[in-house]
Amino acid sequence: MFRLALVFSALITAGTAGSEELPIFDAHIHYSHDAVTLVPPAQVAKILRDAGVKKALVSSSDDDGTQKLKAAAPDIVVPALRPYRRRGELSTWMHDPAVIDYLEDRLGRFEYEAIGEFHAYGDDIQTDVIQRMIALAREHDLLLHHHGDRAALDQIFETWPGARVLWAHSGFDRPDEVADALRAHPRLWADLAFRSDMAGRDGLNPDWDRVFRAFPDRFMVGTDTFAPERWYYVGPHAQSTREWLALLPDDLARRIAYDNAAGMLGIR
Amino acid sequence: MIRALFLTGLLVLPGMAVAQILLTPEEIQQTLSHGPWPPQLPPDASNRASGRPDAVALGRAMFSAPVLSANGQMACASCHDPGQHFTDGLPRAEGATRLDRNTPSLFNLPLHRWFGWAGDSDNLWAQSLLPILNADEMAQTPEGLKSTLQASPLAEPFETVFGPLNRQTPTAVLVNTGKALAAYQETLITGRTAFDRFRDALQAGDLARAGRYPAAAQRGLKTFLGRGRCNVCHSGPAFTNGEFHDAGLSYFITETRVDSGRHGGLAALLRSPFTLDSAHSDDPRRSGAWAVRRVRRTHADFGTFRVPGLRGAAHTAPYMHNGSLPDLAAVVRHYNGIDPERLHTDGEAILAPIGLSEEDIADLVFFLETLSNAR
Repeated sequence: MFRLALVFSALITAGTAGSEELPIFDAHIHYSHDAVTLVPPAQVAKILRDAGVKKALVSSSDDDGTQKLKAAAPDIVVPALRPYRRRGELSTWMHDPAVIDYLEDRLGRFEYEAIGEFHAYGDDIQTDVIQRMIALAREHDLLLHHHGDRAALDQIFETWPGARVLWAHSGFDRPDEVADALRAHPRLWADLAFRSDMAGRDGLNPDWDRVFRAFPDRFMVGTDTFAPERWYYVGPHAQSTREWLALLPDDLARRIAYDNAAGMLGIR
Repeated sequence: MIRALFLTGLLVLPGMAVAQILLTPEEIQQTLSHGPWPPQLPPDASNRASGRPDAVALGRAMFSAPVLSANGQMACASCHDPGQHFTDGLPRAEGATRLDRNTPSLFNLPLHRWFGWAGDSDNLWAQSLLPILNADEMAQTPEGLKSTLQASPLAEPFETVFGPLNRQTPTAVLVNTGKALAAYQETLITGRTAFDRFRDALQAGDLARAGRYPAAAQRGLKTFLGRGRCNVCHSGPAFTNGEFHDAGLSYFITETRVDSGRHGGLAALLRSPFTLDSAHSDDPRRSGAWAVRRVRRTHADFGTFRVPGLRGAAHTAPYMHNGSLPDLAAVVRHYNGIDPERLHTDGEAILAPIGLSEEDIADLVFFLETLSNAR
């Protein structure tokens, strides 16, 4: 993929300025308990700076990692509150009332811009825990970073029509399906974390190209550091992101790389 | 008819002891997919030396020749010790320095599509060049290799197979060295095992013979095919699907360095001048080159490693890409208690804690050992 992408990249950057320096807003990143132990906050801050990641929407299991990283890199970290204390709770958390106590406690003590990334599928949204979590997001005017299917997504908006939702991994749906969701929900954004189908060795995927141009303000990128070692993928990921974004017009590339996430979160 | 008989589980044949087959018909069909063994393998069309006895002899001599290394002190066999099943018994290989990965055994390589833990190569002769050129291993250059060979006793057999050395560019000498080494390594095929006799007996419907396969091994095989679902990745006659997966292991090399695995391997493959799609292939049809033409890197490749075959595995401890698990029981325990927190929710969905008892673990290890032993 990257051999041809690099050729394209070289051709395009020859005619435009500063593509190599394209600032990145990483909208999907985690700093969980095991990563805190193995990759200390100062090292993570250096990794982010070296990669040219100017802002990062960070959520962690448990939240302690986010707070530690915010202290180490306050100019970069945009904190999100994850409703898990361990990643292993991602399929059970919606049935655990203690999650609400945990969320209320953290929301009372720290500042956040989002709740998530949380995993929920279909009617999971109707559980008491998730309904209360959505109510908390509404009370605190927080973005919801949702990992799940279209059915759950629709139910989030039924619960709170005014919600701002970031759809993790764009639901791993096809580009036309993602476009349909974006059309249906004007306050929905989509991250492209852990997806590799946007570009291939033949260049940009034409289906994605069409959707990016149809919704230029709605997509953003993310690394998804789901295991500690993946912090060392932040740099290569930022680089490969710049390579495939170089296949798009400069303005659109800049929006996907940074501006859309900043706009979604009201950050300058 | 045979399927119906197996359903009974126990079969009493006239004049013989009770032959016990513990597998269900479905498990028997799955078992048959792990053979026959040894496989019938055609010569490698990309390597004109493949299958030639003189090339095999040359490759064998080269394999143990320290003269191929820049300092004249390291041979392929220094790490791939024929006396240790072509590995070294160490967690991570020792070259000029401690290397990043475990030394893999060299048996059954012709069945691979990708070579090395990260699949840096799509053919065996190209893979054989990498340790020769690696600065931390044999540290050679094509020019140095050519001059070394010209002055060595290997020159004559080399020229017998590949023609005069002085008419070959240093790169051609390098590639031909790889092809001789590959011709030799292709001959390294593990022998028939207790499992193969069991499997072939099942295929032949010889239940009395199949029943000699120990009950503990059959129970382990049932776990391998059933609760463990090990055969999803360890499939086919070589017990590998040949592809790359996240096994839920740490891939830190040091506190500040990680092994990128297949992600880095693909980068190496895509910049390699020695693929099946290159002019160095001797196959005018470029058979098999479709794979390197189509493969692409994904984010999921980071930290994944090639699934090793299991034949002969009992002789190649320690295990995994970094040699971090000392024995087969440790490998089974790793998967039995795998930490799902290390895996992406949309990644290796096959991996989850299995819940095997100590007896189950012992049976599964027993089964795995029957893939390595004739008795």
